[in-house]
Amino acid sequence: MGMDINTKKLKKNAFRVSKERGIGASRIRVPGGYLDAKILGMVQEIAETYGNGYVHLTTRQGFEIEGIHLEDMEQINQKLQPIIEMLEINQTDPNTGYPASGTRNISACIGNNVCPFANYNTAKLAKRIEKEVFPNDLHFKIACTGCSNDCAKVRMHDFGIIGMTLPQYDPGRCVNCQACVKGCKSLSVNALRVENYKIVRDEEKCIGCGVCITKCPTRALTRSKKKYYKLTIMGRSGKKNPRLGEDFLVWADEDNIVKIICNTYRFVEKYISPSAPARKEHVGYIIDRVGFEEYKKWALEGVELLPETIVKECVYWSGIHFD
Amino acid sequence: MKNEYIPQLSTIKEVIRHTDVEYTFRMEFTGEVKPGQFFEVSIPKFGEAPISVSGIGDGTVDLTIRRVGKVTNEIFETYVGEQLYLRGPYGNGFDLSEYKGKELVVIAGGTGLSPVKGVVDYFAKHPKEAKKVTLIAGFKSFNDILFREDFAWWEKEIEVIQTVDNAPDGYLGNTGMVTKYIPDLQLADIENTAFICVGPPVMIKFTVMEILKLQVPEKNIWVSHERKMCCGLGKCGHCKIGATYICLDGPVFNYVEGKELLD
Amino acid sequence: MGYQFTKAEAERMFEKWGSQYDVFAPKLMEGEGCFSDTDVVRYGKVTSLDEIVWDRKSDYSLKEVLLAINETLFYFTEDKTTVPEGPQKDILIFLRSCDLCAVQRLDEIYLKNGYEDFYYARVRKRVKFILMGCKTSCASGFCVSMGTNQARQYDAYVKVDNTQKVVYADIKDKVLKAFVEGGKEIEVTPDYVTENVEKVNLPKNLSNKSFENTIWQEYGDRCIGCGRCNFACPTCTCFTMQDIFYKENAKVGERRRVWASCQVDGYTDMAGGHSYRKTQGERLRFKVMHKIYDFEKRFGYPMCVGCGRCDDICPEYISFSNCVNRLTKEEAEHEK
Repeated sequence: MGMDINTKKLKKNAFRVSKERGIGASRIRVPGGYLDAKILGMVQEIAETYGNGYVHLTTRQGFEIEGIHLEDMEQINQKLQPIIEMLEINQTDPNTGYPASGTRNISACIGNNVCPFANYNTAKLAKRIEKEVFPNDLHFKIACTGCSNDCAKVRMHDFGIIGMTLPQYDPGRCVNCQACVKGCKSLSVNALRVENYKIVRDEEKCIGCGVCITKCPTRALTRSKKKYYKLTIMGRSGKKNPRLGEDFLVWADEDNIVKIICNTYRFVEKYISPSAPARKEHVGYIIDRVGFEEYKKWALEGVELLPETIVKECVYWSGIHFD
Repeated sequence: MKNEYIPQLSTIKEVIRHTDVEYTFRMEFTGEVKPGQFFEVSIPKFGEAPISVSGIGDGTVDLTIRRVGKVTNEIFETYVGEQLYLRGPYGNGFDLSEYKGKELVVIAGGTGLSPVKGVVDYFAKHPKEAKKVTLIAGFKSFNDILFREDFAWWEKEIEVIQTVDNAPDGYLGNTGMVTKYIPDLQLADIENTAFICVGPPVMIKFTVMEILKLQVPEKNIWVSHERKMCCGLGKCGHCKIGATYICLDGPVFNYVEGKELLD
Repeated sequence: MGYQFTKAEAERMFEKWGSQYDVFAPKLMEGEGCFSDTDVVRYGKVTSLDEIVWDRKSDYSLKEVLLAINETLFYFTEDKTTVPEGPQKDILIFLRSCDLCAVQRLDEIYLKNGYEDFYYARVRKRVKFILMGCKTSCASGFCVSMGTNQARQYDAYVKVDNTQKVVYADIKDKVLKAFVEGGKEIEVTPDYVTENVEKVNLPKNLSNKSFENTIWQEYGDRCIGCGRCNFACPTCTCFTMQDIFYKENAKVGERRRVWASCQVDGYTDMAGGHSYRKTQGERLRFKVMHKIYDFEKRFGYPMCVGCGRCDDICPEYISFSNCVNRLTKEEAEHEK
């Protein structure tokens, strides 16, 4: 008997059609790449029961269980249910798997759970954004990274969130050892100098990476109580014009970043090309079409930025052009 | 309670220029002071520097300063009639009684002559108080020679060998390192001869090696150590070597003790 | 005299102490740790017993209360020097046995060793010490090995019971005792540990020969020269002088002394560029020998109090206690 499958529906349900007829793959999203190790056992069980026993660790920090038979999709969705619940993924109907796949898993570097350089809990923010934006069929890629090292390669995403901290300096605790100055120079942007045996920070230059703080042996330099973020926008890979995301906001706060991301979904709903195949027009290309000014208007709708947040008046992207 | 950190203003009575970078500042000072002791000399806003006493006069002390850093650069901008801040003297200094009635050989390299100059001055003024006094003073070149006027009168009172490391052809004076002149010293009684050796660490090392070759007992040798003496009060720690604070226990050491001071 | 107070009675007494004294104690500085979302425990002014961190050792020691990190020695105008005022109030310091023993070392340097230090002395004579006991040993400390596990020179001892309901105190100082109201008189002896996890054997016969041990270079290769060990140490006392002129008015300025570290570049630099102990290995040797040998040679007892803070704070996981034990073992083997 021939197979009759709605592949559009299949893809939205986070399955994939493979090279081999009748065989597909099941995609599991893991926001922030952070999961209870028990889930690994569940993935293993599905892979051994329904797949070929192999799993691909995706570039976006999910799992892709290979070699599944497309006729098993319903049963696999049943098996995915505890994973979906443990990871607290928004779902429409239980036991029906993932309700969308357009908006990709929110990925993140390991963040301040572990990494000494990270300026915030990246997995937690990834999860918060996931909660806000998923499920959605629109094609969005969002990533969180703990510091300006950008290990999560967030500048290759539609939205990249880079952790920042505003160094707090107590000159009374400073012994002029200059570990911060040397650290900033060798590892970061050389934004510190010594004047009268005390540290002067070039506020224009400083990227809020926090290196100086980790180098300080006396706690003269500490992190700001407030956590800050840099929001980079519209980076992408792809066939037409791959490019790195550019800074949109610097010294921004978490709430407003989430708001801007949500606003951007509305912008896309409004401007996406009606002829886009499967409503798959990347947001970056839409902004290229309608202009940054218009995008900015939509993005900042209802957003009250912190006084210290720097908004880039205009954003230009470069990248490689093939056309 | 006395606040030892507060310096006193002292007027510069006279400036004697030796070279482009080495001047002696004759400073107003009344109080007890010994050759080999040092003062913390400062110009507010630029900082303090430990400077050894290079001469003791009536109501004055001489401080010979080499222009090598922030403080000394600034001191050079200040001249006669102006004032510097002083606190001190600190350190043990040379105990002249150790050398009286003996043969004395003073070996100095460059600015190392400053701390020991008071000793030379004393015995040049009172040559009878020692059996024989010899000064071997080495400088990098003719232009680096310090205390030229003093050499002129010392030569009349004591044995003086002045040498330069490097000299152009035709130079009439002595050339070569101070160590070159040690083997030829004519000493009547090695056991009763005192040696004082002051200069950069490398110079001290090789000079002492040469002195020991003469079968001089270690206890007959005195050295002066230079270190970063930030406070002069045994507090800041910068000059400590082993269990010794150079600012309190030194800078002058008998070699028996001095040889143990290793960094 | 020993007392048992209710928490409320103890807080009332504490409040009265607070009216008479500035009270310094280990305090949790939230978010001020080296890394994101980490805290640091260091000395600060406290206004209640609850503000004091009782359950862990402070990351930085009590010495910053007695010896300001930056101390202005005097201000100068054109030809005048003005010494800033000392502390306005008497001071109470809550501290553990190791730190109280460290005060003896600080006194040795700052009240004796040649000259009495004006600035240290004027703070020191206004300080009373309140001992916090140690029921159990901290992980890195080796106070028992150093004989610093039990300090008796305290003015008062205060212990908040686990239940947070009862406070025990032994108040020896008459002035502090005068603030006691209520409470029950009982026998109170300070908690102290009799055994640590870390045990350190000091080497017996160190000398300049010990310079040749390869251990120094080995540890030196790992050391980054950040000075954390010195800054966290309750017994390190070094400082550097700084002269500052104000940008706004070049005629006015000040002279300060600022904590210094023998591990950090520049410590031995002399004007003209000469410096001693250029390698981290030499610097580490200098520090270790000072803590366990040189100081003792001069003053008759070892400098290190075994608090273990240098081990805890080292970003390169260099352990002072392990280093000393290795040195002891290797020096003993050399002698054979």
